[in-house]
Amino acid sequence: MANQIVEAIEKALTDAQVRLTAATAPDAVEAVRIDLLGRKGLLPALSKQMGSIPPEERGITGKAFNTAREKLQAMLDEALTRLNSAAESEAAGIDLTLPGRRMAVGHKHPVVKVIDECAEIFRRMGFMVAEGPEIEQVYFNFDALNTPQDHPSRDPGDTFYFPDGRLLRTQTSPVQIRVMESHEPPVRIVAPGRCFRRDTPDATHSMNFHQIEGLYIDKNVSLADLKAVLRNFATEMFGPEVRIRTRPHFFPFTEPSVEYDFSCIMCGGKGCNVCKQSGWLEIAGAGMVDPNVLKNVGYDPEIWSGFAFGFGIERLAMMRYRIADIRWLYENDVRFLAQF
Amino acid sequence: MKIGYNWLKSYVNIDCDLATLCDKLTMAGIEVEGIEAAAGVPEGVVVAKIMERKPHPDSDHMSVCQVFDGSETLQVVCGAPNCDAGKVVPLAKIGTVFNTPEGSFKIKRSKLRGVESCGMMCAADEIGVPGGHDGLLELDETLELGRPVAELFPGDATLELELTPNRPDWLSHVGIARDVACLLKSKLVMPEIVLPQVENPEQIENLVTVDAPDLCKCYGARIIRNVKIQPSPDWMQERLISAGLRPINNVVDVTNYVMLELGQPLHAFDLDKLEGKRIVVRRAANGEVIKTLDGIDRKLDERALVICDAVKPMAIAGVMGGEDSGVSENTTDLLIESAIFDASNIRATSRRIGLSTDASYRYERGVDFDGCDRAADRCAQLILETAGGNIATDLIKVSSMRPEEPVVKCRFDRIRSLVGVTLSNDEIVDILRRLELKVDNVSDADCVVTAPLFRLDLTREADLAEEVARINGLDNIPEVRVRSTVVDTIRNDTYYRIQQLREELLRLGMFECMHYSMVKESSALSDPRFTGDDLVKIGNPMSLDLAVLRPSLLGEMLESVERNIARRNLSLRLFEIGRSFCKNAALFPEERQSVALVLTGSRHPERYSAELSECYDFYDIKGIVESLCEMRRIADWHFEIVEDARFTGKKGLALYIDGKNAGVMGELNKSYTAKWRTNNAVFYAEIEVASLMDAKLQPESLIPVSTFPATTRDVAFIKPATLTHAEIVKFVNNIHLKNLEKIELFDLFADAKTLGENKESAAYRLTFRAKDRTLTDDEVNKAYNKLRDRLAADLKVELR
Repeated sequence: MANQIVEAIEKALTDAQVRLTAATAPDAVEAVRIDLLGRKGLLPALSKQMGSIPPEERGITGKAFNTAREKLQAMLDEALTRLNSAAESEAAGIDLTLPGRRMAVGHKHPVVKVIDECAEIFRRMGFMVAEGPEIEQVYFNFDALNTPQDHPSRDPGDTFYFPDGRLLRTQTSPVQIRVMESHEPPVRIVAPGRCFRRDTPDATHSMNFHQIEGLYIDKNVSLADLKAVLRNFATEMFGPEVRIRTRPHFFPFTEPSVEYDFSCIMCGGKGCNVCKQSGWLEIAGAGMVDPNVLKNVGYDPEIWSGFAFGFGIERLAMMRYRIADIRWLYENDVRFLAQF
Repeated sequence: MKIGYNWLKSYVNIDCDLATLCDKLTMAGIEVEGIEAAAGVPEGVVVAKIMERKPHPDSDHMSVCQVFDGSETLQVVCGAPNCDAGKVVPLAKIGTVFNTPEGSFKIKRSKLRGVESCGMMCAADEIGVPGGHDGLLELDETLELGRPVAELFPGDATLELELTPNRPDWLSHVGIARDVACLLKSKLVMPEIVLPQVENPEQIENLVTVDAPDLCKCYGARIIRNVKIQPSPDWMQERLISAGLRPINNVVDVTNYVMLELGQPLHAFDLDKLEGKRIVVRRAANGEVIKTLDGIDRKLDERALVICDAVKPMAIAGVMGGEDSGVSENTTDLLIESAIFDASNIRATSRRIGLSTDASYRYERGVDFDGCDRAADRCAQLILETAGGNIATDLIKVSSMRPEEPVVKCRFDRIRSLVGVTLSNDEIVDILRRLELKVDNVSDADCVVTAPLFRLDLTREADLAEEVARINGLDNIPEVRVRSTVVDTIRNDTYYRIQQLREELLRLGMFECMHYSMVKESSALSDPRFTGDDLVKIGNPMSLDLAVLRPSLLGEMLESVERNIARRNLSLRLFEIGRSFCKNAALFPEERQSVALVLTGSRHPERYSAELSECYDFYDIKGIVESLCEMRRIADWHFEIVEDARFTGKKGLALYIDGKNAGVMGELNKSYTAKWRTNNAVFYAEIEVASLMDAKLQPESLIPVSTFPATTRDVAFIKPATLTHAEIVKFVNNIHLKNLEKIELFDLFADAKTLGENKESAAYRLTFRAKDRTLTDDEVNKAYNKLRDRLAADLKVELR
C-alpha cells in the first residue's frame, strides 16, 4: 500500500514528464534534472523523510526511489536526444551542391589512345612493340624495302631529306628491316611511330603523322594468317559487326600485295559521306613480305615467309572520335584534350 | 585512267551489269574510283525541222527560222550559218535545262535584238555529242520529228580507274578487257587489223637512225601519203570522249585512239616538216632547246632523248612532240612513229622538265615490246579508213635485241602455302592460262610459266602467287584462327616502358599534348641551350616555318600554352613525351626522348573564393616530379640548384638520378610569358626519358613496418633565410641520431618585425621509433638534446 512518499514520487515523475515534453531547449531539460535530482532537488528532499515512515514500508519506498531515478534518467535522455536531433537537422547548413574538390584527372592524346589500343590488341595476338629512329637512312627506308631507285616516293618532292643524304622516315616500315637485321626469325612485331611526308597540310593531310606497322615472319605463314590477324584487329577495334574485304594492290616490299577495307564504321556499309557512298573505308596496306626484302635482311625466302601490314593512326582516330580536321590533333587546346 | 564502257565492251563480252563489273574489277586490283555516266543529251531536246529561214532584220549573222517539232511551229532566232530550211536539227524547247561546267541554264522565251525566239537549235557540243561546234548538228532527215534526241545517243559511262604502277598492261582498253575476260571466263576479242598490200614501196635510205640504242629499244616508222586532215568519224570521237580525250583531227585522233586501245603511244609527224626527210634518235645536246606542242620552250641536256630530223629536234622522245612537228590542216604526208623507249629515262626526263603526258605515263611504266608493230599497223589501218591516203613505205624498223620473256618455275605447293588456299594444281594452271601466260612442263609438283612481254612484272614465284590469289579472289581465302606464339619478352618491348611512364603522368593528372617535330628556327632557339649550329636542318623543308627539327620540347610547348591562354584556357597541366633532335653530340645524342611538363593557372579552377585564386606555384611542379620519382620507385634521386636562363632568376632546380643530371624545372622567365594575356606564372620541367628508364630502382623486397609506438620531438629556431631546407635536413641526417625515423618541416615563416631582416623561423618535427621496442623518454631526450646542441653550435641557429 502506497504511502505519502511513494505518492509524491509518482506525482513528481508525472510532472517531470509534462515539463520534458514541453521542453524546447536543453536548458529546460537541465532545469528538470536539477529540480528533481539536484542536491536540493525533490527526490533528495523526499529521501530525507524516509525516517518518518513505518519500517515495514521502507523497503517498498526505497525501491520506488530507485525505479524513479532510472525512469527519470531515461526521460531526461530521451528529451535531450529529441532536442539534439532537432537542433542538428535545423543546423544542416552546408550546400551539398557546391562543386567538389576534384583530384586532377589526366587525359591521353587521342592519337596515343589509338596507338595504345592497337598495341594492346596486337600484343594479345603475340606481337611485341618495336621502335626505330625518326631520322633514318635511305637504306632502311627505301633500299632494303625493295623500293626502285627511281620510285616516286623517293622524290625530294615527297620526302624530307637532310644535307647528309639521310631522311625523315616516310613510313614505319624501316623498323621491320632493323628488327629483322638484328633478330633471327621468327619475328612478330608491331611498330607504331611518327612519319613524315611532304604533303601540303589541310583537313586530312599532315606532313607529320603516325603509322603502325606489323610484321610476322615464320615458317609457312600465308595470306590466310594475315587475314586472320586483321580480321581479329577489326573486331577488337570496331566491334564484331565490322566486315572486312581484301583487294589486290601493289607495294614494292610485299608480293602478293593487298589492301584491307573495313565496312564503314559511320554508316555500317550503307554508304555515307565518310566512305564516299562506297560503304567501305580503306584501312590497311598489307601483303606477303617480298622475297627480295627477306634476302636483303639475310633470311632465306625458301624457308621463311611472312606478312607485313601498316595503317595510318590519325585516320583511325579521326573516324573513331569524329575529328573533322587533322590539325586539331596538334593544337593541344585543353578543351579538346579534356574529351579523351 | 579513264575507260569508256561501250568501247571496252567491243573487246569482251560482258554478261553482268556495270556495277557488278566494277566490283569485280576493284576486287581484282583494278580499282574503280568512280563511274561517270555520260552527261547525255538534256531532256527537252527534240528532233525538229527548219521550215523557213529569213534574215534577222537587225543583225548580219542571225536568222529567224520557223521550226516544226512535229506538233507545232515555233519561231527560233539562230546564229548558226547552216540553219537552212529543210534541215533536221536538235531543238531545245522552252524549259530545257543545260548543265554545263559553268553552271546550269534554262531555255526561256526571249527576244534577240527585238525578235522573239522560242527555243534554241543546237550544235553537237552543246548537247554533249560528237560533231563539234561548227554549226548546227545536222540529223538524219528521215527521223521522226519530236523524238527526244537523247534516244539517238544511248548512254555510255566512263570508268575512272586507279591503277597500280606494276601493271602498265592495264593502261589500255584491250589490257583491261584481257583481265575482264579472265575474271568473267569470257574471251578477249582483239581488233582485226588488215592492211592493204603496199605496192612499190618507196625505198628511202637511212630513213631512221638510232644513235642511242640503249634508250630506244625499237623505232618503227611508216610513211603514209596523200591524207586529208578533217574531223574523225563520230564513232571515234565518241570513244575518245568516253575515255576523257578531246577529239582534234582524224590523224591525231587515230594516234590517241590506238594508244588508248592497245597501250602503245604513237606520234604522227608531218613529213614535209622533217628536214632531210629522215629521223635521228639521239641524246639531246646540253642546252638544246625545243618548243613543245604546248608552246613552251624546253631546255634539255644530254640525259634526254630527242627525235630529230636531219637538222633539229622535232620531239622529246616519249614525252611530247615539238610545236613544228605536228599535223596541221595542210598536212598531206605523214611519218608515223611507233617506238619503245627506256622506261627510267622517260621517267627521269618527264620529271626533270616537269611534263607528264599520256605517252610518258605509259612509257615510264613500260610498253609491250611485242605490241609495237601491231600498233603501227592498227594506226595505218585507221588512218587509211579516216583520212584516206596510201601507205608509201613498209614499216621501217630499227630494233635492238628483243627482251627475254620471264620464265618462272611455279611450285603448286608453294603457291598454296603463300596464299593459304586449297586450289588444285589444275585450277592454278587454269588461272595462269586465262591470264594469257604460257604454262609448260606441268608435273604433279610444278610447272614452268612464261610471261608475255606485256607482263614483265611476273618474274618470281611470289608474283605468280599474287595472280592466283587475285583471280581466285582474295575474299575466298579461308578464315583461319590467329596463330599466336610468344617470340620475345615484354622486357624488350621499349614502347611498354614508355606507356608505363605515360600512365604515371596521367595518374598525376596531366593532359597529354602532341606537337610537330618540325618547327621554325625561332621556336627551336627559344631554348637558349642551343645555337643555330646545333639544329638538325631539313634540306628541303616545306616552308621556313617548318625547317628544323625541334632540339627540345620547350618551343612548341610554349606555342601551345600561348594558344590556350589566347583562347582563355588559363589553367593548364600539360605534358608531352616526344623526341627531340640535336646535331651537337657534345650536348645531346642526335635523337632523344624527353618529357616536358607545364603547370599554370588555378590549382582548383572548379572551386570558388579563396581556393579559386590559389594558383600553381613552383612546389606543384616540383611535387609532380617528386611523385613521379616515387611512383617509379627510383632509388637514388636528389635536386640541385643550377644556372638556367630559361627560368626566373636564371636558376632552375635540376633533378639528379644516380648522380647524373636528368632534367630541370623552374618558373619560366618573363621574357617568354610577358606578352601572354595572363598574370599567372608558368612552370616548366623537362626530363630525359632515358634517365628515368635507366634509373636504379629500390629493392622490391618489403621493409616490415614497426608496430612499436613513435615518439616525437619538435625543434624550432630562427635561421638566416639563406640557410636552405635541404641544408638543414642534410645536416640533421649527417648527425645520425639514434632511432630517428624521419624529420619533417611543419612550420616556416618570415616576419621582419619580430625576427629581423632576412631571418626565418623554422619548426621541424622529429619522429623517433625503434623496430623492436618502445623507446624510453631518456633515449629520445638524449638524441633530441644532442640535435639541439649541434644545431646551435654548428649551424648557428637561434633555438626557440
